[in-house]
Amino acid sequence: MAKKMVLFSVLGTIVAMIFMAASILFPHPLLLVLAMSIGQGIAIFALVLYLLAVALDLQASGAAYIPAEEPPVYEEPPPAEGSEPPPA
Amino acid sequence: MFSIHSTEQLLKAIALASAVLSVLVCVWYIVRRPHLNRVTKSMLLLGLGAFPLIVSLTGNIASFEYTLSRPFCGSCHVMGPYLRDAEDPKSNSLAAMHSRNHKFGETSCYTCHADYQMFGAITTKQNGMKHLFKYLTEYASTGPDGEGGPTIHLYKPFKSGACMQCHSATAKKWVETHGDSADAIRSGEMNCIDCHNDIHPLALSRRPGAGKGADK
Repeated sequence: MAKKMVLFSVLGTIVAMIFMAASILFPHPLLLVLAMSIGQGIAIFALVLYLLAVALDLQASGAAYIPAEEPPVYEEPPPAEGSEPPPA
Repeated sequence: MFSIHSTEQLLKAIALASAVLSVLVCVWYIVRRPHLNRVTKSMLLLGLGAFPLIVSLTGNIASFEYTLSRPFCGSCHVMGPYLRDAEDPKSNSLAAMHSRNHKFGETSCYTCHADYQMFGAITTKQNGMKHLFKYLTEYASTGPDGEGGPTIHLYKPFKSGACMQCHSATAKKWVETHGDSADAIRSGEMNCIDCHNDIHPLALSRRPGAGKGADK
């Protein structure tokens, strides 16, 4: 799963980089607008996808610290009436 | 050979180099398909995060700088007559004279037509998006110089403030030559282009049906 996500992320980044490089090399208004909106959108999506894949990979390998539910707090029962106090 | 003469070109070079590095990392991953170990993750973080970020930042600044230039304004075919007139060394139109002034340089369109208030750069770019929409919907299939399309006009009247960025309305010579109308011009009742109206004559003469006022 994580590997597939990384692959999609890599492909998305290539598309975004081609968009942005094309807008720098051939700065036509339409290409500039597409690169600045769609191109950067794809790049951000690809990065988020990659970070998610890394997080999933860490979780699967147990490297990530996942705090367990807090254990119930143990409370000492009140001493029964008439009983002797524990020796000091 | 690619040579760097300005900050814009330097930013473009950095953006392109970062884009190439990013693509190289991506291609390396696709070809090798390495395990997702620490080295691979670090490499991919560079290729998918750091390099694209550099491309975005430098590319945006370089592109923004380029959008201020006259070739960019003239890259839509409907602007052809305006561009040719502005770049004609024999033309005596206001656009051409100002374009020959090295102070304006390559940004003569933007210098005169940009909004000059606090958020002028932003509102000007918003108008640019409007231009693009209008171009796609109304002018895309018009003739070589936009023949057959609607008459080009400004969204709002041209204000004298753009002229007064350079031409001071308090200079002695200006006050002497403008005499009675000086106060009216300063207050905005009169506009500079009411009298100095030879702005883009070539463009207007090439557009049938467009009066002089259409270009202001």
